[in-house]
Amino acid sequence: MESIYQYAWLIPVLPLAGATILGVGLVAYGKTVNKMRKLSSGLIITLCGLAMAMSFTLLFSQLDGHAPFVQTIEWASAGDFRLTMGYTVDHLTAMMLVIVTTVAFFVMVYTDGYMSHDPGYVRFYAYLSLFSSSMLGLVVSPNLLQVYIFWELVGMCSYLLIGFWYDRKAAAEACQKAFVVNRVGDFGLLLGILALFWSTGSFEFDVMGDRLLALVESGSLSAAMASFFAILVFLGPVAKSAQFPLHVWLPDAMEGPTPISALIHAATMVAAGVFLIARMYPVFEELPSTMTVIAWTGAVTAFIGATTAITQNDIKKGLAYSTMSQLGYMVMAMGVGAYGAGLFHLMTHAYFKAMLFLGSGSVIHGMEAVVGHDPALAQDMRLMGGLRKYMPITAFTFLIGTLAICGIPPFAGFWSKDEILGATFEVSPVLWGIGWLTAGITAFYMFRMYFSTFEGEFRGNDTSIQRELKVAQLQKLGMSLGPGAMNPQELALDSEAHGDDHGHHSHEPHESPWTMTFPLLALAVPSMLIGLVGTPFANYFEAFIHAPSEVIEGVPSEIDWAEFIPMAGSSVGIALIGITLGSLMYLLRKVDAGAIANQIKPLYNFSLNKWYFDEIYDTLFVKPSRRLARQVLEVDIRIVDGVVNLTGFITLVTGEALKYLESGRVQFYALIVFGAVLGLVLVSSVT
Amino acid sequence: MNNAMSLEHFPWLTTSILFPMLASLLIPFIPDKDGKTVRWYALVVGLIDFAILVYAFYTQYDFSDPGMQLVESYTWVSSLDLKWSVGADGLSMPLILLTGFISTLAILASWPVTLKPKLFYFLMLAMYGGQIGVFAVQDMLLFFLMWELELIPVYLLLSIWGGKKRLYAATKFILYTAGGSLFILICGLAMAFYGDTVSFDMQTLMAKDYPLKFQLLAYGGFLIAYAVKLPIFPLHTWLPDAHGEATAPVHMLLAGILLKMGGYALIRMNVEMLPEAHVYFAPVLIILGIVNIIYAALTSFAQRNLKRKIAYSSISHMGFVLIGIASFTDLGLSGALLQMVSHGLIGASLFFLVGATYDRTHTLILDEMGGVGKKMQKIFAMFTACSLASLALPGMSGFVAELMVFVGFSTSDAYGLPFKVIVVILAAVGVILTPIYLLSMLREIFYGPENKELTSHEALIDAEPREVFIIACLLIPIIGIGFYPKLLTQIYDVKTLAVTARLQDSLVTVAAQQEEKAKPVTAQILQAPTITSIH
Repeated sequence: MESIYQYAWLIPVLPLAGATILGVGLVAYGKTVNKMRKLSSGLIITLCGLAMAMSFTLLFSQLDGHAPFVQTIEWASAGDFRLTMGYTVDHLTAMMLVIVTTVAFFVMVYTDGYMSHDPGYVRFYAYLSLFSSSMLGLVVSPNLLQVYIFWELVGMCSYLLIGFWYDRKAAAEACQKAFVVNRVGDFGLLLGILALFWSTGSFEFDVMGDRLLALVESGSLSAAMASFFAILVFLGPVAKSAQFPLHVWLPDAMEGPTPISALIHAATMVAAGVFLIARMYPVFEELPSTMTVIAWTGAVTAFIGATTAITQNDIKKGLAYSTMSQLGYMVMAMGVGAYGAGLFHLMTHAYFKAMLFLGSGSVIHGMEAVVGHDPALAQDMRLMGGLRKYMPITAFTFLIGTLAICGIPPFAGFWSKDEILGATFEVSPVLWGIGWLTAGITAFYMFRMYFSTFEGEFRGNDTSIQRELKVAQLQKLGMSLGPGAMNPQELALDSEAHGDDHGHHSHEPHESPWTMTFPLLALAVPSMLIGLVGTPFANYFEAFIHAPSEVIEGVPSEIDWAEFIPMAGSSVGIALIGITLGSLMYLLRKVDAGAIANQIKPLYNFSLNKWYFDEIYDTLFVKPSRRLARQVLEVDIRIVDGVVNLTGFITLVTGEALKYLESGRVQFYALIVFGAVLGLVLVSSVT
Repeated sequence: MNNAMSLEHFPWLTTSILFPMLASLLIPFIPDKDGKTVRWYALVVGLIDFAILVYAFYTQYDFSDPGMQLVESYTWVSSLDLKWSVGADGLSMPLILLTGFISTLAILASWPVTLKPKLFYFLMLAMYGGQIGVFAVQDMLLFFLMWELELIPVYLLLSIWGGKKRLYAATKFILYTAGGSLFILICGLAMAFYGDTVSFDMQTLMAKDYPLKFQLLAYGGFLIAYAVKLPIFPLHTWLPDAHGEATAPVHMLLAGILLKMGGYALIRMNVEMLPEAHVYFAPVLIILGIVNIIYAALTSFAQRNLKRKIAYSSISHMGFVLIGIASFTDLGLSGALLQMVSHGLIGASLFFLVGATYDRTHTLILDEMGGVGKKMQKIFAMFTACSLASLALPGMSGFVAELMVFVGFSTSDAYGLPFKVIVVILAAVGVILTPIYLLSMLREIFYGPENKELTSHEALIDAEPREVFIIACLLIPIIGIGFYPKLLTQIYDVKTLAVTARLQDSLVTVAAQQEEKAKPVTAQILQAPTITSIH
């Protein structure tokens, strides 16, 4: 058994090897490698499968009670300063390894179908594999510094994958935005790491926690200072896990191909923030004010995400806000001290949200056959409807995912969300209230999504809606170009003529190929059942994953019905209310959603425009920084350069030199200096 | 005399300096009509010289010895005590290797040069030797000569093969650098004549005990000279002009090696010879470093000319070298040295790619590009990789260097806590600014729909194998160091330790002096009371 631990480093290295082979191949023999599609994808999927098998072995070994394993090597040193890197395998790592490898594996299988017509098929697999490698490296990291390294690497992969279709303007902007916003978070994380290292002299999680506690207790570091350090570290997760106020990149990141939306921007990378909070628990746990900040950030994010998701018409954007909202739940759970519950939700969410995203990809794939390869049309729910008839498997799995995220028992989401809400109630009823309300909104928007996509009449062939969407899209584009740039109507006609060239393939969407439906079905299983490992009747999950400071013997199975019934009842209750409202408005059409929206126009617009975060940031940060940069450049060219030149002229040469500069003869100046010295040397060597 | 002995006494460094220079003299006699023979000749000479360096260091250099090695000394002018003396230690050896490496690649990068090839390669080879000379010589006067000698090829390379404003740029370059180097001469002479013995030997100069006022003056003089070279704000404005006009190979040398001379000399002279003045000047260096990082990043962001953009980014990266040098820790100094090597590789690769892009688009203005990624996928991929390296992505050398500077500075006990906090926060702002300008640059060149106006008259062909090879050569060490920094740091570890130990001593000395007499006003403001580590 020990040997599997000795070779655990292979788990991140195998996908890296795959990515390297494809990457080098693409640069050196691009044409040939691009033709070897099945071979390339086969290689990557096999390597990921191997990593998955190893991960499961490690998980079972850890379940058997194997002691945590750490292996490190000296990475950098200067004087008596030593930096080590390596890998660790403990309960948390084993769980994360299994989540990441399974989701990655199914996403890779799915990709074969989804990207089959894309010329960048091989490149996409290379990126996917590189991402898997970085993510796996992140979860096996034994210290904070190594986490930071892989943290940045997953960010880079995210950048590359969001910008995968680099000829799309929106994708180009989205990938840059994602990277820069994440760097803002990393700025805090880096400062936090430096501050913690300065105060504790270590990058190890446990050591940092212990020493920081000792410092605070001995009074050599104030608790406020320590909390501040911890909050700086927390800024990293705020950006990576799309928490308010650094969440703005995640919805835009949906410009990337759908498989990566499922893998990176739903299941794994965005959850890395929660993982880091879990890893940093030895530090955070002892600092109540930090925990409060974390809990409130999570709650606010959950609420913002859910209220924005309500009005989104783009199926992927809707899911993105839902992801943000669910991540908010996890962060809130970590903040109120519900370590196990937060990670439990991370796990259940990873499976059902990955499935939902892959489902949306399947829908888009089907829609593209009707409306063409235009994300503005293929992803808009106003053009969908009635898809269940054409895509039964997708509809079935999407429904399971929807039920899971709404928290309907016995699906996975119910158990984890209920545990979070229960734990939150004990700490703060206000936070619980926000979480509870969010649960209701979640149920409403998810069923709105399900009904408008899969039920009712198919609207994809309605050219008037198509035209309307097109115009709206171009108006938006025109707005970003500045007023009066072009007449949107004109553009619309242009591009419509252009679109007709491609020709529509059919008038009916179709079910996706088996490579896409198989992963959906496979992920449906954990979405239904995985919650059962963490029921309050027998919480195996909690027994396996719990905060480092907690001691849990055996499987906790005490259940307080008097507590469980009202808690579970209230959350299921509000979910049912949300579902009922959703079905009245979007399935039975008893209530006119448009009329309600018109009645509360300001609120509707507030939600539709994503709480105006992009506009606010644009005015507050983007434009001023551009202006500042331009001004600095002006100063550099006009003032700094001028002053230095002037000083140089005045002190070194007389005004005469100006004439020489113009005619370019000042080179003689240098020659004179050089010649004089050389002459001095020669003369003295002769004498 | 047995074989091993003769190898040991073979003048390796002198050979590596003189061989390219002498070889360059043969170029006029090479029968060559189309300029294709001479480039192979230059490349072979470059490779041989690089091989000599690698072999010499591999067989003769002992990593565990902090002192000068491979020392050769011949009396040249006995009355002036001018000696041809060369040597290498942990400080210069990585930079000498870097010089051989980048210069050879720069020759390979010069393949498309068609104008006056003989003169071009003559100058390239002359520069090759001169650059190694700057890092290897151990005599102050000789150092000055080498410093000046290497200016002339650069001047000619700029003024003949440059862009439209080449003459202005070349003149500005030589005015600034030569103007600055006057200070080297003055300070060098002053130091040589100070005391009882007249000597230009660097080891002797280092051993001399100068009074504080003298040290401060000399330090300031050297600082001006090296501030021009590194460059440091506000003496950096020659750089965007020179870099904006240079052709790609010259560019690689400018960014890859010439800027490093400033950093090298700063450590060699200011830090090693004038350690007590360094204690006083270190806070100034740190502030200048911060200004470099933020100011240059902002100007780079606003810059619309591709070459100038990258030129400003070089200035920004050099800020970390300053902070590392002034950190008084092993880690910080080690990081500064690593940053120099790392930027040498990354800067060279970026400038090479800018040149390769220019060869295809024939414009450097970002607004005239756009969407070229579709046709130039390999260049796109390499450009992305090098830009990511430049923005200090982990797994690449730049990250390790910046991290070492950050950790080194924040654990330094030479500064007060508030000062450290402000500096670290401001330097970390650079971490946000760098991706902004580099990624928007990538976006404007490669992303988005194709720029029809550009594609209508330019054939955008993808990278040829030679170009891929050059970038691969540069990326392999970048990634290698990023993955395992000890590859490089162990080469010079003992040297940075020795330098820092000396600096720590002078910190103590200066602190004692300050206690004796009234504290100087400037130092009082900047040098917050030393905090004792709390663990």
